[in-house]
Amino acid sequence: MEMLSILHLPPLESLAAHLNPQLMTPSSRNPTLPLKADHFQSAMTERTNRAATLAVRALNMSSMLAAYQAELCEDMATNLDPVLWEEIQLINWLVNLDKSQTFAAKAGTRSIATMLVPIFTLKLNHKINPRMVTVGKFDGVHPCLTAATQAGKVFIHNPHARGQRPAAHRLSQSTQDSDISLLNINQAVTCLTAGTLGTNTTGDTLLVGSQTNLLAYDVHDNADIFYREVSDGANAIVLGKLGDIPNPLAIIGGNCALQGFDSEGNDHFWTVTGDNVRSLVLCDFTGDGKNELLVGSEDFDIRVFKEDELVSEITENETVTSLCHMNGSRFGYALANGTVGVYDRTARSWRIKSKNHAMSIHAFDLDADGVDELITGWSNGKIDARSDRTGEVIFKDNFSSSVAGVVEGDYRLDGQKQLICTSIEGEVRGYLPASKDLKGNLMDSSAEQDLIRELSHHKQNLLLELRNYEENAKGVSETNSGMGVIPANTQLQTALSVRPATEAQKAHVELSISTPNETIIRAVLIFAEGIFEGESHVVHPSAQNLSGCVRVPIVPPKDIPVDLHIKTFVGGKTSTQFHVFEINRQLPRFSMYDVAVDSSAAQPTGRVTFSINDRPQRVVMWLNQNFLLPEGVDSPEVTFNSLRGGGLLSISMASNGQITLRTDDIDLAGDLVQSLASFLAIEDLSADADFPSYFEELHTTLTEVDEFHSVHQKLTAAMADHSNYIRNMLVQAEDSRLMGDMMNMKKRYRELYDLNRDLINEYKIRSNNHNALLACLKSVNQAIQRAGRLRVGKPKNQVISACRDAIKSNNVNTLFRTMRAGTASS
Amino acid sequence: MEHLNIAMVGATSQKTMRLLPRLGKKATQKVAIADHDGIVTCFVMKRGEAVLVLKTLPWQKISRLDLGGAAGTPQEKIFVCSGSRIRGFTKKGKQFLTFEVNLARDINAMHVLGANLFVCASYIYNHYCDCKDQDYYLSGDKINDITCLSSENLTRFVPVLACQDRVLRVLQRSELAYDIKVPGPPSVLELYNKDGGEEILYGTTDGQIGLVEIGESSAATKWEIDNDKKKGGILCIDTYDIIGDGVNDILVGRDDGTVEVYGFDNSSEPALRFEHVLSESVTSIQGGCVGKESYDEVLTATYTGWVTGLTTELQKGELGPGDEVRISKETQSKVEALRVELEQLQAQVLQGRQLYYQTFQPTIFIVPNFSINDTFTLCQDDASYSLTLEVQAGIDNLLLQSDVPIELLDVDKDFVVVSLSECDSEQPNGSFLLATCRCMAYTTRLKIKVRTIEGQYGTLQAYVTPRLQPRTCKVRQYQIKPLSLHQRTHSIDQERPMNRLSLVGQFSFAEIHSWVGLCLPEVPDKTPAGANITFYFHNTFLGTQLEATYCKGEGHFKSDNISTISILSDVLSKEATKRRINLNILHDINDDSVSQTLKIIHPKLEYQLLLAKKVQLIDALKELQVQEGNADFLIPEYRSILDDSTILLEEYKKHSAHLERLYGMITDLFIDKFQFKGRNVKTKVSSLLGILDNYDLNSLLDFFNEA
Repeated sequence: MEMLSILHLPPLESLAAHLNPQLMTPSSRNPTLPLKADHFQSAMTERTNRAATLAVRALNMSSMLAAYQAELCEDMATNLDPVLWEEIQLINWLVNLDKSQTFAAKAGTRSIATMLVPIFTLKLNHKINPRMVTVGKFDGVHPCLTAATQAGKVFIHNPHARGQRPAAHRLSQSTQDSDISLLNINQAVTCLTAGTLGTNTTGDTLLVGSQTNLLAYDVHDNADIFYREVSDGANAIVLGKLGDIPNPLAIIGGNCALQGFDSEGNDHFWTVTGDNVRSLVLCDFTGDGKNELLVGSEDFDIRVFKEDELVSEITENETVTSLCHMNGSRFGYALANGTVGVYDRTARSWRIKSKNHAMSIHAFDLDADGVDELITGWSNGKIDARSDRTGEVIFKDNFSSSVAGVVEGDYRLDGQKQLICTSIEGEVRGYLPASKDLKGNLMDSSAEQDLIRELSHHKQNLLLELRNYEENAKGVSETNSGMGVIPANTQLQTALSVRPATEAQKAHVELSISTPNETIIRAVLIFAEGIFEGESHVVHPSAQNLSGCVRVPIVPPKDIPVDLHIKTFVGGKTSTQFHVFEINRQLPRFSMYDVAVDSSAAQPTGRVTFSINDRPQRVVMWLNQNFLLPEGVDSPEVTFNSLRGGGLLSISMASNGQITLRTDDIDLAGDLVQSLASFLAIEDLSADADFPSYFEELHTTLTEVDEFHSVHQKLTAAMADHSNYIRNMLVQAEDSRLMGDMMNMKKRYRELYDLNRDLINEYKIRSNNHNALLACLKSVNQAIQRAGRLRVGKPKNQVISACRDAIKSNNVNTLFRTMRAGTASS
Repeated sequence: MEHLNIAMVGATSQKTMRLLPRLGKKATQKVAIADHDGIVTCFVMKRGEAVLVLKTLPWQKISRLDLGGAAGTPQEKIFVCSGSRIRGFTKKGKQFLTFEVNLARDINAMHVLGANLFVCASYIYNHYCDCKDQDYYLSGDKINDITCLSSENLTRFVPVLACQDRVLRVLQRSELAYDIKVPGPPSVLELYNKDGGEEILYGTTDGQIGLVEIGESSAATKWEIDNDKKKGGILCIDTYDIIGDGVNDILVGRDDGTVEVYGFDNSSEPALRFEHVLSESVTSIQGGCVGKESYDEVLTATYTGWVTGLTTELQKGELGPGDEVRISKETQSKVEALRVELEQLQAQVLQGRQLYYQTFQPTIFIVPNFSINDTFTLCQDDASYSLTLEVQAGIDNLLLQSDVPIELLDVDKDFVVVSLSECDSEQPNGSFLLATCRCMAYTTRLKIKVRTIEGQYGTLQAYVTPRLQPRTCKVRQYQIKPLSLHQRTHSIDQERPMNRLSLVGQFSFAEIHSWVGLCLPEVPDKTPAGANITFYFHNTFLGTQLEATYCKGEGHFKSDNISTISILSDVLSKEATKRRINLNILHDINDDSVSQTLKIIHPKLEYQLLLAKKVQLIDALKELQVQEGNADFLIPEYRSILDDSTILLEEYKKHSAHLERLYGMITDLFIDKFQFKGRNVKTKVSSLLGILDNYDLNSLLDFFNEA
């Protein structure tokens, strides 16, 4: 075929001409068609081709086209036909991405001594999907920037080996730019990474995850290593060694589940987590020389897994979108609300918040001081490097579009690692770490000027403050009412209390703030994370309702302890200036529970029972600290009403240390167990549990999963049939066109159009089915997680792994037994 | 050019920094600056350090600083005005003049020329010669700035006033000689040639600059520079040959911190040569030689009191690596010194704080005072209001509260976290907007854009808490008027079909003036002189117009937009009822005006609809392009969409919700039209929206006529 292509290049009349009548040039080979029919045909083909394009989208047609191309090639071998050749050209052109250009990299000529400038800049004419960028040495030597781009493709930028490589299988050379090769994944890529997976490969393995599959691919040999179906999807991926597992694993995080594959594609690691996983990183969290897995998920938690044992949990206030390992036990994190920060184990070193979103974070020693900085790429195109200890910005740069990913690699092959930043429009910049004599000073002189300015402002503010005190000390001369003057004994009183639902208002926690004298509260600003829609809540009474007391209803959506930063503007009724009182209050974890007075209501059917070796007083202490109790309690026998409408919650403790929690809400039970265990410093706790209604629900879900599975299989088979039809029909239609048989062509294309519509409908059904299936799987995973949360330490891990085994062997009874008793046996 | 911090003083007003004339040929110039603490500082730069020559004691806030001196001698006497007092200092620091002017208001603008003092206090202009009263003039609107021409060609002084009503008033003694209409409210005037000449530079609050030549009886505009890039309003102008081509360049400072240098090509039109953005509003700008001999500099003072130089001297690079190190060492040592100073201060402050909170128990707390530099202006091009707030100590947080429905568009700073809070808008007098802006980094200036709806009026309040201990906050109130999107203009198109609204009743001229002031922006507070007055307005969003003519007992309003008339009539009758005045209201509705208004809206609507359609296509087309490899197969229309996609998207972002606003206004128009006819057509609104969705001008016109 290659021989043919070089020797025999027939004139190319592209499909494009049919799409656009104006572009149509009179064809030399086909002059017989009358003009009117020509127009008509163009219009027809345009319409049908549009429909076909839609089908392409729905079906990932390119793979089909490739198959068709292969068929044509076979035909070509027997029959040299320019028409066939044209067809092949067309298909080729459809499959390949085109028009990508690398602008010459600007070599770093400017001295790095004055300021850090990018040492190379590339413009790849491909879009880059956010967070899907990596660098891999696929041949073992040359680092290649690899990123996911539109339409389910992955591109590999390899400027080092500019040789022709055969275009086959998945890999195809970009037609214009020899530096870029494209991989067809034919599915929306959700994550990718590269690194050493197996021991016997020459270079790095590329791992690409999609919503349903994980592909391990050897770019160098152009071969799949394994292709596994992952029903929970792959939202995040990380490659490396975990705990005591000898081989490196590719760990993917999906909907509530974590799975680790070795180089053969066997899963060596499986566990569940609380919600959809958004970010993963491997890091020696405990300092034992072995890696732990850090998982950031949509329930705002960062969980630390030592293999499949959950060793620590950090609650943040938004979806954790990125994690990166800094050094030792330190790691950086980014949240969906624009927060970026660094943790050392469970202690937060610093954090900052921006109105932009952090797209990618990476640790890199940019100022060559031996400590990695946190490099953040923002959605507005800004890149900044912040000191690991303080969060101070030491370097910044700007892209014209949002940053897609920040990675590192020795891209110039000079033995020095560069920081490589990419934007979603395909711009790539590489930065070298600063030379030693810069002494960590990367900013140009204007930044120094800014520093002086800031310090001077600070000084000015201190002077102003001093003057305020001096004036106050001097006494009162200007008793202007417009000026804010308030009595010195003004102290704010705050109180928290639980208010059950009334007809006018939903159940809430009430924060009341009052002044002791005639001053009024103009406004109350409460800054708190995770309980309001934004980060703040404002109460601004109208002018008629001004008083010295403000009641703020708060409805925390989750059972988490919340710090309330309250700013209260206090002054006179007509003041234009107010004193700002700043108070911090903490909302206890279980604040939405009111002590039930009458216990006549039906007792909840769900319960969890466990034994502790501690005095009842300690439990009472825990109760007083974690619940909003007006008078406090003195015995560990108490019943609450859940204000969120979850019915009753009763806690009782027998004299032998056995505690029984009764509630229908399994999540709440889990939260209580975890909270109590950490309060009493219990390491291992096994429990006996029963939540009949919840288990009933789970049972239904499990049956549904089976149904969805079978529907899914049926639909897939139907789709394969239809694809075959389309292939045939397309060939027939094009045949008719070339034969000038307009009637038949029209007929074929009409049929094709109908079929296409059917396919789209079917696709919709399939995707609905798939989504429903995913939702079910998620709830199953969550159920395991919830069952685990009723226990602490070893018993918890036992429950999770036993449940996993039960699901693997499809033994529903064992699953429920495990959830109830904590073990599979008995 | 490089920027270099030179010194810091207290917060400064507009035009309060000047350079004293140079003595030798190459010597550096002294800098005189006055601040809100009433301190006049004069310093000279020696080896990168500011050396004080003069520093007065604190007094009242200084609003202007000018240089003067006897004719023919160097102009090196410093004049400052604060409150209603003018003081004069020699450059050695001796106070040689205190002069209390006899004006009811505080002086806000001043010009010194030999023994002549030209002083303005809001509406009043006064001319003193040797401290003796000479001339007096009462302007129709607030006077923002003053300058005075004197040259051989002119027989006398010609004072020129920059007035808020978009007019430069040229005076002859105590009389108005003529006025010059300018495109925006002028905020600053400067002589184009410092030695005389008849040309005057003006800058407006909406960011335009122009040059006018003042003649005996008329003036000619030489050129104007539009504010296409939507930069801030002009606060100060100076002329200096900074580029060194022998022609004086124009230095401009804006309230958004932009510093610009305009040079002249061979043509006489100015062209932007240099631009630098500071973080605070630039209150004064001067060109001269300050830091180092023979290196020219653009010197700026900002609101928070920073004096910054943009020097032509290279700070690094060309002088070799050794020099580089020296300079960075210099700044390093500066930083060190500052840090030490800070530590000492911190200790002092801690002591003070303890005293304040514990040992010392005063009977009352005085809430410390601080000043806010704020503006609330209508942006003509996107018909939204921009609120800028500037606090010297830096803003910690800001609470915005509004009792009218307004939309918060954006905040221009990165590290400002905006959070909208739930509102109790159903309750009477409840809030429609409650938003907090928390500043993460050190921020002295905030700009917030809000969008208003005509017909809905009330107050926007901003509670500003600066980064100061003890914590205090200050409220600023901004009126959102019923016809908030209207702007004053010089004339209107009388040809358009107009609707009329006439009011007759027992009200005084002052009363109706205050009512009009309640309805429309840019109406002077003071009741105009004379028996009657006419104001012209145009709607910045739709381009419709309004003429208001009124006198005692009578008011006439003409507009081609029925909605405008309807809003006016509502508000005016409400106001009259409040004061128990019987009004006789007459409407004269011209049906042609509605189709006229719709025709004015038509191109905007059509453009927006097309834009929305195109933007909708972009994503799909892009995907096609990627899938197919190129875009050659698409018809030219689609290809052009792909090629212009970034421009289209930007445009779309800029005009976000434009379409909804247009729809809303057309609906209002529809309802108002039939309301005047006594019919309620609210039930037909849905069919109107249906027509708008498949927009065609004729069908819309038909619908309006038939319904």
